[in-house]
Amino acid sequence: MWTVYAKELLELLRDRKTFVFTVLLPILAMPLIFGSLGYLSSFMFRNAQQAELTYAIFGKQHAPQLAERFAREKSLREVPLAQPEAIKAAIADERIKFALVIPPGFQDALGAHRQASIALHYNNAVALDITSKRVLAVIEQHNGALRAQALASFKLSRDQLDFALDPVRLEVRSTAGKRERIGALVGGFLPYILLMVCLMAAMYPAIDLGAGEKERGTLETLLLAPVPRGALVLAKFLVLFTVGLTSALLMVASMGLLLTLFGGALQGAMQQGVRAIGARDLAMVALMLVPTAAIFASILLALSIYAKSYKEAAGLISPLMMLIIVPIALAMLPGVELNWFWAMVPLTNVSLAMKELVKGTMDYRMFFAILLSTSVIAGVLLAWCRWWFEREQVLFRN
Amino acid sequence: MIEVTGLAKRFPMARQKERRAKRRDPREQQGWFQAVRDVSFECAPGEVLGLLGPNGAGKTTALRIVSTALRPDAGRAFIDGIDILAEPLQARRRIGFLSGTTGLYGRLSARENVEYFGRLHGMAPERLRRRCDALFEQLDMHEFAHKRADSLSSGMKQKCAIARTVIHEPSILILDEPTTGLDVMSAKIVLDFVASYKALRIPVILSTHHLHEVDKLCDRVCIVNHGASIFQGTVEQLRHLGGGGDLYDAFVHVIHHGA
Repeated sequence: MWTVYAKELLELLRDRKTFVFTVLLPILAMPLIFGSLGYLSSFMFRNAQQAELTYAIFGKQHAPQLAERFAREKSLREVPLAQPEAIKAAIADERIKFALVIPPGFQDALGAHRQASIALHYNNAVALDITSKRVLAVIEQHNGALRAQALASFKLSRDQLDFALDPVRLEVRSTAGKRERIGALVGGFLPYILLMVCLMAAMYPAIDLGAGEKERGTLETLLLAPVPRGALVLAKFLVLFTVGLTSALLMVASMGLLLTLFGGALQGAMQQGVRAIGARDLAMVALMLVPTAAIFASILLALSIYAKSYKEAAGLISPLMMLIIVPIALAMLPGVELNWFWAMVPLTNVSLAMKELVKGTMDYRMFFAILLSTSVIAGVLLAWCRWWFEREQVLFRN
Repeated sequence: MIEVTGLAKRFPMARQKERRAKRRDPREQQGWFQAVRDVSFECAPGEVLGLLGPNGAGKTTALRIVSTALRPDAGRAFIDGIDILAEPLQARRRIGFLSGTTGLYGRLSARENVEYFGRLHGMAPERLRRRCDALFEQLDMHEFAHKRADSLSSGMKQKCAIARTVIHEPSILILDEPTTGLDVMSAKIVLDFVASYKALRIPVILSTHHLHEVDKLCDRVCIVNHGASIFQGTVEQLRHLGGGGDLYDAFVHVIHHGA
């Protein structure tokens, strides 16, 4: 059996495609992709927050103080516009980002202690609504100044004013640590990537080991060697298992390394969250990967050995990819949390467990239950794969 | 020595196919295809047995049964007195099997390909090394022993496949259309190899469509049609059946009219 195992591994190592997929991709590409994506998004976000916004303002004479406040903002630049009717067109062709229209009587209303309003025109069909936030910040400053004046003219004390503004104030005290919040964010997609890498890395070798033997005409001679078929299956299974697991573990290791080296570069809360993920948690994530890799290896091998050619094998395996994504993606849905119900759903439970591990809120009884059930499933699948391999209809389908 | 008696093997048929091809072949019945119904033959040391028959006659299935890849529904087969059904692993150690579609592992070198099968046959490293050296010498393969199988010419590949077939010093050879699809030079390598093993007094079963190969190498012939062996005898006896000296006529006669 080990002869077969060693030979298959040697053959795979000589294949550059497999090498790239199993070793280079998880080690380099994944952290690189996520690193650059994270950097890019934070960069863009900062840019959008600080970028200069052009605006037009009408009815300045009705509220000179407010207009002046806007004029003082460094990152806002006024662009003169002929009349309010031109606002929509000006926003559409990006001459201005937003426009403010102050109605007549604005100042009078305020003077009479009545609420006054101004209109903000802008295009809010964007994912991150930064424009309104920035305008609101300026208005809020102005409101603050006006409140201070009102405080003086109403002759109210600070406490009385607070009561008048917000009789009941809600104090939010989060019980979640910083790590838990970061974990909820990161932990959602981490298992998705890990499991996909684990599956994808084993996919090409699987096709080679099963359908490839048929297509090259080596299967027949291999079956005639005095090696029990069970041993052949086990050897091939172990190769796929090794490849999938190695690939996923390499990714865990490379991410761990990346975090220890560059974790300091992350900002505030993110950094603390990342620091809190210890080697033990990563080890447990790795442990979770073991039976999962076995499940993937069994399914892939069974499909591959059934196929007559590379082409057919690839055709059989791609729908499997789609199918396996479903339970993994389920774990990312809001409201799907690890409980005894979800702990019984294969693959979803693995994803959820990884998420909990990253968050640092794992229920260890559940962890071992999931580990056990996943191992049992892997064992059953391996047994099925072995039975499948002994069927003449599968091996000699022509 | 190999003795095969009354082999039978059937395969389940796909349902649609069953309806479409109703009773075109007498071997189809109730969702089963009786690929081999009754095949018997034997081959003694120093003898080459030619297994003849039209495409789809059941030759390959019969040979796969004898080489233990498939289990028969009925019949028995003995290799040097070993029951292949009772002790398939023992039987496999004695069989060298080669077919026209046999491939090599492209990313392994010629030598690694051969050694891999030697190891699968449980050969000790020292014995394997000596055997490999001898075979590579005999087949003149040293030049390309360390080249990847991918990059070999078809003649080199054929030599490699032959070395792989006999690495474990089998006591019988089963060759399933070994020259099909080969060019003349590669085919000659195979035929020379058969002749050399005949000289070593090792029984050889050669399934083929090329009657000149039968003429050149075979001592006895077994003709299979519709899953049953319908003629067994020497090449001379077969030639006689055709009336003249021509093997083609004789073969066609046996297929149409029986022996």
